[in-house]
Amino acid sequence: MTARIVSPVAGKVVGLPGVPDPVFAEGMVGPGTAVDPDRGPGVAVAPISGVVQKLHPHAYVIVDAEGRGVLVHLGIDTVKLDGEGFQLLTEEGAHVAAGAEIVRWDAGAIEQGGRSPVVPVIALDAPADRVTVTGADYVHTADPLFTWE
Amino acid sequence: MAERQVKVTTDVGLHARPAAVFVQSAAQSSEDVTLAKFDPAAESQNRVNAKSILAVLGLDVRNGDEVIIASEDAEAVDRLAALVTEETS
Repeated sequence: MTARIVSPVAGKVVGLPGVPDPVFAEGMVGPGTAVDPDRGPGVAVAPISGVVQKLHPHAYVIVDAEGRGVLVHLGIDTVKLDGEGFQLLTEEGAHVAAGAEIVRWDAGAIEQGGRSPVVPVIALDAPADRVTVTGADYVHTADPLFTWE
Repeated sequence: MAERQVKVTTDVGLHARPAAVFVQSAAQSSEDVTLAKFDPAAESQNRVNAKSILAVLGLDVRNGDEVIIASEDAEAVDRLAALVTEETS
């Protein structure tokens, strides 16, 4: 069944080439897209219904009932912040619905700290031709972002 | 079967970017390649498919962890061991 992945944040859809990190930009982590988030405090949500397989302050993976994993990475090089400025709103192993609140953060503060707040949303282990980006120019939180056949 | 146990020295372990590089390198092998995070307390190690980014991210390998890389492809094992023991990632 086709999975409908929703945007974890509100912002401008910039696609993977819009990510200032070649490993994401070239699709090496996987196919998908990226959102340049609205600046300011916000909450990143689950892009798909499933289980929280991995939850870091700066990144999380939700796996759906069919084993499809979606990675949300909150900004680039943000692993080096060691969780500073991120508040976890759920825990690993939790069952969540698409749109459920996962991490509270502040894209503006990330940018002021000298890092890109761009959010790659990645279909893990997916062949590129199974992913179709449907999100338009601007998406609100939980708006459709891409489909995964 | 070639198998190596090495300590991960890359600064952020196997997070998104280094994990993607690791998985892509593993995928170049025509043989199965497995990765496990060494757990001295476990009777058998939880070996996952080193060609799956989902599986590798799920292991949550961090700097200082010991990992076990195994495959019939000894060259791949050496190549992957070198990737996680580089001084800079």
